[in-house]
Amino acid sequence: MNRFKTLFGITLGISLVMLVGCKAGTDGGATASGGAGPSAATPGKKFKIGVSIPAADHGWTAGVKYWADYASKQNPDIEWIIQDAKEPGDQITGLENMKTQGVDALVILATESAPLTPIAEKLHNAGILIVNVDRGFTLPVADVFVEGDNKAFGRKSAEYIVKKLGGKGKIAILEGVPCTVNTDRVNAAKAVFSANPGIQIVAEDSGKWNREKAESVMQNMLVANPQIDAIWASDDDMALGAESALKAAGRNKNVWILGGGGMKDIVKRVMDKDPLYPADITYPPSMIGFGIQTAAGILRAGKDNAKKYIPRHVMIDLDLILPENAKDYYFPDSVY
Amino acid sequence: MKKSNLLAEYGALVALILLFVINVATRGGNFLQIENLRNLVSQNAAVGVIAVGMTLVIIAGGIDLSVGSLTAMCGAVSILVINKFAASGMNPNLAIMLASLGAIAIGALAGLFNGIVVAYGRVAAFVVTLGGLAGFRSIALVLGNGGEIRSQSPALQDFGFGGMAIPFAKDAGGGPVLFYWSAIVFVAIALIGGFLLNRTRFGRYIIAVGANPRASEYSAINIQTVRLAVYTLLGALVGLASVLVAARMNSVGTGSVGLYYELDAIAAVVIGGTSLRGGKGRIWGTVVGVLLLTLISNMITAYHIDTNWQGLVRGIVILVAVLIQRGKKEDE
Repeated sequence: MNRFKTLFGITLGISLVMLVGCKAGTDGGATASGGAGPSAATPGKKFKIGVSIPAADHGWTAGVKYWADYASKQNPDIEWIIQDAKEPGDQITGLENMKTQGVDALVILATESAPLTPIAEKLHNAGILIVNVDRGFTLPVADVFVEGDNKAFGRKSAEYIVKKLGGKGKIAILEGVPCTVNTDRVNAAKAVFSANPGIQIVAEDSGKWNREKAESVMQNMLVANPQIDAIWASDDDMALGAESALKAAGRNKNVWILGGGGMKDIVKRVMDKDPLYPADITYPPSMIGFGIQTAAGILRAGKDNAKKYIPRHVMIDLDLILPENAKDYYFPDSVY
Repeated sequence: MKKSNLLAEYGALVALILLFVINVATRGGNFLQIENLRNLVSQNAAVGVIAVGMTLVIIAGGIDLSVGSLTAMCGAVSILVINKFAASGMNPNLAIMLASLGAIAIGALAGLFNGIVVAYGRVAAFVVTLGGLAGFRSIALVLGNGGEIRSQSPALQDFGFGGMAIPFAKDAGGGPVLFYWSAIVFVAIALIGGFLLNRTRFGRYIIAVGANPRASEYSAINIQTVRLAVYTLLGALVGLASVLVAARMNSVGTGSVGLYYELDAIAAVVIGGTSLRGGKGRIWGTVVGVLLLTLISNMITAYHIDTNWQGLVRGIVILVAVLIQRGKKEDE
């Protein structure tokens, strides 16, 4: 009998967690509709859109989650399913489940590019509108692709480094998660560096766009290289990780870091003329909101109509943040 | 049989049926779509294949923490082989077949290595395979240069999304619903594993070695050989699973593929009622465990629950399973 009590208690516990989770979730309560599938705009039918993003493993993705919640709330006429995933396998499972939930559109920020491409292609072929944000697929399977200009990210940031170093110096490169975003940034930056023979890349490794990972990678780089003049960190979380490593090693003099993303803490320090952060480059996580708004708009207008005038590829311009203009990019109330 | 014993024996199955009924009651046709039910079997097929092998290892008194990393390593090898053969103009399906055999062979070798160190090196299985967890992942990362390895052969993806059409079933777009090859492999491996454990002499040896190694030795069972065999078998199954995963993604992200597979597989085994102390266990329980874990993530999406709660729900399910098992021991 005792074990029945235990089981009962635990079942109750699970139900409670599910209930609380439901409340804490982005959208209260479940709606059961029998075998609803993606269909053309029928009057009175509530559209359903799934948003699939990577888990908030660093500040930028936390910003993505914030803006995804925010933007979806501005469209209460649509039923939203917002899910994050730790790795591609998780994300594929979530996307398959969203399909059986009968979503009309999906807004996807891929955990990694190549592994998510086959499932995206399959969902696209099943007639679901696919809006892809930031990390792209390896095939053109998205109806709309929204991204920051990552080649400009790499080029502008590298040109700044070359200029500030006077064309001569030793630099370390921190790469991100393997995906189209990272490839575009790194290749564009390297193209600039290799055109300037005075710039020497002494260390290069992946910090996975993560603070802790970047810190440990940076520690190893510091041990192996007695002189590093500048660090191309390509992300503000990685910049903070690199800073911790520099401080712990007592090497935070005569070196500076260029991050990326426009995290408010970093922008503040650029504004305050911190020698460690002479500049930053924007990469707004709010672009997920643009993707969400686009998906909602296309469904409302009717997919076939809207696709006549909505561009397939939208590229967001990025800006170099310097002490002079930093106040234009400083949003103390933002999460990122 | 006392009521509480029944519950201890079939607790996981009862839980699965309970959740199933709750889903049918609240989601109705949405839950019962053939496509959704198919997903429940196919989504964790790779973990399922590994969990079957893991059940045998755990019953024999061992454990293997290296399976997730080994999945990445074998998957990386399989894609490299496919790309090599595809470039040489070989029939793509033949290339996939050869790559699968290659991945299974590499997996079996790695499993054999684990087994040798455990059986003859007399190092605790936990420690040996912890080494594998770090080592195999590292080899995968080296092969993939830290990133993804993309397949150059579209046939691999066709295999990943191919399968047998389920009769009369149509998806929302009117197309056939395929029972994916990965799900078919999972079901087949589970049946073979169950047969091996319950109907063969080898199965009886596995149970004997796990229950009481010394007594097994006295009864002329070569316990080292049995241990080698279960680790090698698990390694081969990991190789097979790695191809299923690689096919679904048409690539292998060497840093992310197979992450936490060891925990998922062990969780499924434990939920299914196999004792971590060895000597006792069942394959069908493990299959129930895998399905239970898949059903939880299915519900997370359907009920719009924040994904961050998933771990807590899983944790509770695992704890319940272990608590009930502990009760079973006391009864004896």
